[in-house]
Amino acid sequence: MSAIGWRSALAAVLLAAASASFAVEPGAVAPGFRLAPFATANPVALADYKGKVVLVDFWASWCGPCRQSLPLYDKLRAEFSADDFDILAVNLDEDSADARTFLAEHPVKYTTLQNPQGDVAKAFGLKGMPSSYLIDQHGVVRERHIGFEPKDIDALRHEIAALIGKPTHAP
Amino acid sequence: MRPDRPIRWLRPALILGALVLLAGCATTPVQPWERGRLARWDMRWDPDPLQAAMTNHAYFSKEGTSGEIGAAGGGCGCN
Repeated sequence: MSAIGWRSALAAVLLAAASASFAVEPGAVAPGFRLAPFATANPVALADYKGKVVLVDFWASWCGPCRQSLPLYDKLRAEFSADDFDILAVNLDEDSADARTFLAEHPVKYTTLQNPQGDVAKAFGLKGMPSSYLIDQHGVVRERHIGFEPKDIDALRHEIAALIGKPTHAP
Repeated sequence: MRPDRPIRWLRPALILGALVLLAGCATTPVQPWERGRLARWDMRWDPDPLQAAMTNHAYFSKEGTSGEIGAAGGGCGCN
Protein backbone atom coordinates (compact mmCIF):
# COMPACT_ATOMS: atom_id res chain seq x y z
CA MET A 1 0.00 0.00 0.00
CA SER A 2 1.26 3.52 -0.77
CA ALA A 3 2.29 6.01 1.92
CA ILE A 4 -0.89 8.04 1.31
CA GLY A 5 -2.97 4.90 1.64
CA TRP A 6 -1.44 4.09 4.99
CA ARG A 7 -1.91 7.65 6.20
CA SER A 8 -5.59 7.69 5.29
CA ALA A 9 -6.07 4.33 6.97
CA LEU A 10 -4.43 5.70 10.12
CA ALA A 11 -6.56 8.85 9.92
CA ALA A 12 -9.69 6.71 9.68
CA VAL A 13 -8.67 4.72 12.77
CA LEU A 14 -7.94 7.91 14.74
CA LEU A 15 -11.23 9.51 13.67
CA ALA A 16 -13.11 6.42 14.78
CA ALA A 17 -11.37 6.63 18.16
CA ALA A 18 -12.22 10.34 18.47
CA SER A 19 -15.91 9.78 17.76
CA ALA A 20 -16.02 7.18 20.53
CA SER A 21 -15.28 9.92 23.10
CA PHE A 22 -18.25 12.07 22.00
CA ALA A 23 -19.98 14.10 24.70
CA VAL A 24 -22.86 16.58 24.70
CA GLU A 25 -21.40 20.04 25.34
CA PRO A 26 -23.20 23.31 26.13
CA GLY A 27 -24.58 24.77 22.90
CA ALA A 28 -25.61 21.40 21.51
CA VAL A 29 -29.20 20.21 21.16
CA ALA A 30 -29.92 17.72 23.94
CA PRO A 31 -30.42 14.14 22.67
CA GLY A 32 -34.07 13.15 22.95
CA PHE A 33 -35.15 10.21 25.08
CA ARG A 34 -38.32 8.51 26.30
CA LEU A 35 -38.17 6.35 29.42
CA ALA A 36 -40.43 4.77 32.02
CA PRO A 37 -40.65 6.68 35.28
CA PHE A 38 -40.69 5.04 38.71
CA ALA A 39 -43.99 6.57 39.77
CA THR A 40 -46.24 5.78 36.79
CA ALA A 41 -46.40 3.36 33.87
CA ASN A 42 -46.58 5.98 31.10
CA PRO A 43 -43.21 6.80 29.52
CA VAL A 44 -41.99 10.37 29.80
CA ALA A 45 -39.95 12.12 27.11
CA LEU A 46 -37.57 15.04 27.30
CA ALA A 47 -39.63 16.60 24.49
CA ASP A 48 -42.61 16.80 26.90
CA TYR A 49 -40.68 19.55 28.71
CA LYS A 50 -40.22 21.80 25.70
CA GLY A 51 -40.99 25.43 26.53
CA LYS A 52 -39.61 25.06 30.06
CA VAL A 53 -36.11 25.28 31.44
CA VAL A 54 -35.33 21.72 32.52
CA LEU A 55 -32.50 20.24 34.54
CA VAL A 56 -31.75 16.69 33.42
CA ASP A 57 -29.95 15.00 36.30
CA PHE A 58 -28.23 11.64 35.93
CA TRP A 59 -27.81 9.85 39.26
CA ALA A 60 -27.46 6.46 40.93
CA SER A 61 -28.14 5.32 44.48
CA TRP A 62 -24.54 4.08 44.94
CA CYS A 63 -23.08 7.54 44.22
CA GLY A 64 -22.53 9.60 47.37
CA PRO A 65 -22.76 13.11 45.87
CA CYS A 66 -25.90 12.06 43.96
CA ARG A 67 -27.62 11.07 47.21
CA GLN A 68 -26.67 14.45 48.62
CA SER A 69 -28.02 16.31 45.58
CA LEU A 70 -31.55 14.91 45.44
CA PRO A 71 -33.11 16.72 48.43
CA LEU A 72 -31.33 19.97 47.43
CA TYR A 73 -32.64 19.72 43.87
CA ASP A 74 -36.13 19.12 45.24
CA LYS A 75 -35.88 22.36 47.25
CA LEU A 76 -34.46 24.27 44.28
CA ARG A 77 -37.33 23.13 42.07
CA ALA A 78 -39.84 24.55 44.55
CA GLU A 79 -38.20 27.98 44.22
CA PHE A 80 -39.45 28.40 40.66
CA SER A 81 -42.84 28.24 39.00
CA ALA A 82 -43.69 24.82 37.58
CA ASP A 83 -44.48 26.52 34.24
CA ASP A 84 -40.94 27.88 33.97
CA PHE A 85 -38.67 25.22 35.41
CA ASP A 86 -38.67 21.50 36.11
CA ILE A 87 -36.25 18.72 36.91
CA LEU A 88 -36.15 15.42 35.06
CA ALA A 89 -33.99 12.83 36.76
CA VAL A 90 -32.56 9.77 35.03
CA ASN A 91 -31.59 6.98 37.38
CA LEU A 92 -28.73 4.74 36.23
CA ASP A 93 -28.82 1.98 38.87
CA GLU A 94 -28.30 -1.37 37.17
CA ASP A 95 -30.86 -2.77 39.58
CA SER A 96 -33.78 -0.34 39.69
CA ALA A 97 -34.82 -1.85 43.04
CA ASP A 98 -31.85 -0.03 44.66
CA ALA A 99 -33.20 3.27 43.37
CA ARG A 100 -36.74 2.43 44.51
CA THR A 101 -35.47 1.81 48.04
CA PHE A 102 -33.56 5.09 48.05
CA LEU A 103 -36.50 7.06 46.63
CA ALA A 104 -38.83 5.51 49.23
CA GLU A 105 -36.51 6.80 51.97
CA HIS A 106 -35.75 10.15 50.30
CA PRO A 107 -38.73 11.00 48.13
CA VAL A 108 -38.52 13.82 45.58
CA LYS A 109 -41.43 15.57 43.90
CA TYR A 110 -39.95 15.66 40.40
CA THR A 111 -40.10 12.81 37.89
CA THR A 112 -37.37 10.17 37.99
CA LEU A 113 -36.93 7.91 34.97
CA GLN A 114 -35.38 4.44 34.88
CA ASN A 115 -32.44 3.77 32.60
CA PRO A 116 -30.68 0.65 33.94
CA GLN A 117 -29.14 -0.03 30.50
CA GLY A 118 -27.48 3.40 30.56
CA ASP A 119 -28.09 4.09 26.88
CA VAL A 120 -29.31 7.63 27.57
CA ALA A 121 -26.16 8.28 29.64
CA LYS A 122 -24.17 7.03 26.68
CA ALA A 123 -26.07 9.31 24.29
CA PHE A 124 -25.14 12.28 26.51
CA GLY A 125 -21.55 11.02 26.85
CA LEU A 126 -21.44 11.31 30.63
CA LYS A 127 -17.98 12.09 32.02
CA GLY A 128 -18.76 11.54 35.68
CA MET A 129 -21.42 10.89 38.27
CA PRO A 130 -23.58 12.77 38.92
CA SER A 131 -23.92 14.82 35.75
CA SER A 132 -26.61 17.40 35.18
CA TYR A 133 -27.54 19.33 32.06
CA LEU A 134 -29.44 22.59 32.16
CA ILE A 135 -31.55 22.67 29.00
CA ASP A 136 -33.32 25.80 27.81
CA GLN A 137 -36.87 26.25 26.47
CA HIS A 138 -35.75 25.22 22.96
CA GLY A 139 -34.00 22.00 23.97
CA VAL A 140 -30.47 23.39 23.81
CA VAL A 141 -27.98 22.41 26.53
CA ARG A 142 -26.83 25.64 28.22
CA GLU A 143 -24.82 24.36 31.19
CA ARG A 144 -23.26 21.06 32.15
CA HIS A 145 -22.26 20.17 35.69
CA ILE A 146 -20.13 17.15 36.51
CA GLY A 147 -20.06 16.06 40.15
CA PHE A 148 -22.01 17.75 42.92
CA GLU A 149 -21.30 19.89 45.96
CA PRO A 150 -24.04 21.62 47.96
CA LYS A 151 -22.61 25.04 47.01
CA ASP A 152 -23.26 24.25 43.32
CA ILE A 153 -26.95 24.94 43.97
CA ASP A 154 -26.28 28.71 44.16
CA ALA A 155 -24.69 28.84 40.73
CA LEU A 156 -27.43 26.66 39.32
CA ARG A 157 -30.11 28.93 40.79
CA HIS A 158 -28.58 31.93 39.01
CA GLU A 159 -28.29 30.05 35.73
CA ILE A 160 -31.93 28.95 35.88
CA ALA A 161 -33.13 32.45 36.79
CA ALA A 162 -31.13 33.92 33.89
CA LEU A 163 -32.65 31.44 31.43
CA ILE A 164 -36.18 32.06 32.68
CA GLY A 165 -35.56 35.78 32.76
CA LYS A 166 -37.21 36.08 36.16
CA PRO A 167 -35.46 36.14 39.50
CA THR A 168 -36.16 33.32 41.92
CA HIS A 169 -38.75 34.04 44.60
CA ALA A 170 -36.67 32.38 47.31
CA PRO A 171 -34.39 34.40 49.58
CA MET B 1 17.61 -11.38 -1.23
CA ARG B 2 20.13 -8.71 -0.37
CA PRO B 3 20.62 -8.29 3.39
CA ASP B 4 20.69 -4.41 3.26
CA ARG B 5 17.21 -4.20 1.67
CA PRO B 6 14.30 -4.89 4.00
CA ILE B 7 11.65 -7.27 2.83
CA ARG B 8 8.80 -5.37 1.13
CA TRP B 9 6.04 -6.77 3.26
CA LEU B 10 7.90 -6.28 6.55
CA ARG B 11 6.84 -2.66 7.16
CA PRO B 12 3.12 -3.12 6.51
CA ALA B 13 3.21 -6.33 8.53
CA LEU B 14 4.84 -4.56 11.48
CA ILE B 15 2.30 -1.72 11.35
CA LEU B 16 -0.57 -4.18 11.11
CA GLY B 17 0.88 -6.14 14.01
CA ALA B 18 1.18 -2.97 16.10
CA LEU B 19 -2.43 -2.03 15.32
CA VAL B 20 -3.65 -5.47 16.33
CA LEU B 21 -1.69 -5.23 19.58
CA LEU B 22 -3.03 -1.71 20.22
CA ALA B 23 -6.57 -2.98 19.69
CA GLY B 24 -6.07 -4.90 22.92
CA CYS B 25 -5.99 -1.52 24.71
CA ALA B 26 -9.33 -0.58 23.16
CA THR B 27 -11.46 -2.76 25.41
CA THR B 28 -14.41 -0.63 26.47
CA PRO B 29 -13.52 1.14 29.70
CA VAL B 30 -15.94 1.09 32.62
CA GLN B 31 -18.23 4.08 32.12
CA PRO B 32 -19.02 6.46 35.00
CA TRP B 33 -22.55 5.09 35.27
CA GLU B 34 -21.36 1.47 35.38
CA ARG B 35 -19.49 1.74 38.67
CA GLY B 36 -22.30 0.57 40.91
CA ARG B 37 -20.62 -2.68 41.84
CA LEU B 38 -17.23 -1.04 42.27
CA ALA B 39 -18.83 1.45 44.69
CA ARG B 40 -20.06 -1.30 46.99
CA TRP B 41 -18.75 -1.28 50.55
CA ASP B 42 -17.39 -4.82 50.27
CA MET B 43 -15.42 -3.86 47.15
CA ARG B 44 -13.23 -1.52 49.20
CA TRP B 45 -9.56 -2.36 49.66
CA ASP B 46 -10.08 -2.17 53.44
CA PRO B 47 -13.75 -2.76 54.16
CA ASP B 48 -13.06 -2.32 57.88
CA PRO B 49 -10.54 0.46 58.67
CA LEU B 50 -10.20 -0.54 62.36
CA GLN B 51 -9.54 -4.18 61.50
CA ALA B 52 -6.99 -3.07 58.87
CA ALA B 53 -5.17 -0.85 61.39
CA MET B 54 -4.96 -3.69 63.91
CA THR B 55 -3.75 -6.16 61.28
CA ASN B 56 -1.10 -3.70 60.11
CA HIS B 57 0.08 -3.12 63.68
CA ALA B 58 0.50 -6.83 64.33
CA TYR B 59 2.14 -7.30 60.93
CA PHE B 60 4.83 -4.65 61.27
CA SER B 61 5.70 -5.48 64.83
CA LYS B 62 5.76 -9.27 64.42
CA GLU B 63 7.28 -9.46 60.95
CA GLY B 64 9.81 -6.67 61.45
CA THR B 65 8.81 -5.16 58.14
CA SER B 66 9.41 -1.59 57.18
CA GLY B 67 8.26 0.63 54.40
CA GLU B 68 4.72 1.73 53.70
CA ILE B 69 3.26 -0.03 56.67
CA GLY B 70 5.37 1.89 59.21
CA ALA B 71 8.44 1.48 61.38
CA ALA B 72 9.82 -1.95 61.98
CA GLY B 73 9.73 -3.48 65.39
CA GLY B 74 11.98 -6.03 67.05
CA GLY B 75 9.35 -8.73 66.95
CA CYS B 76 8.31 -8.27 70.58
CA GLY B 77 4.94 -6.79 69.60
CA CYS B 78 5.41 -4.07 72.19
CA ASN B 79 5.46 -0.96 69.96
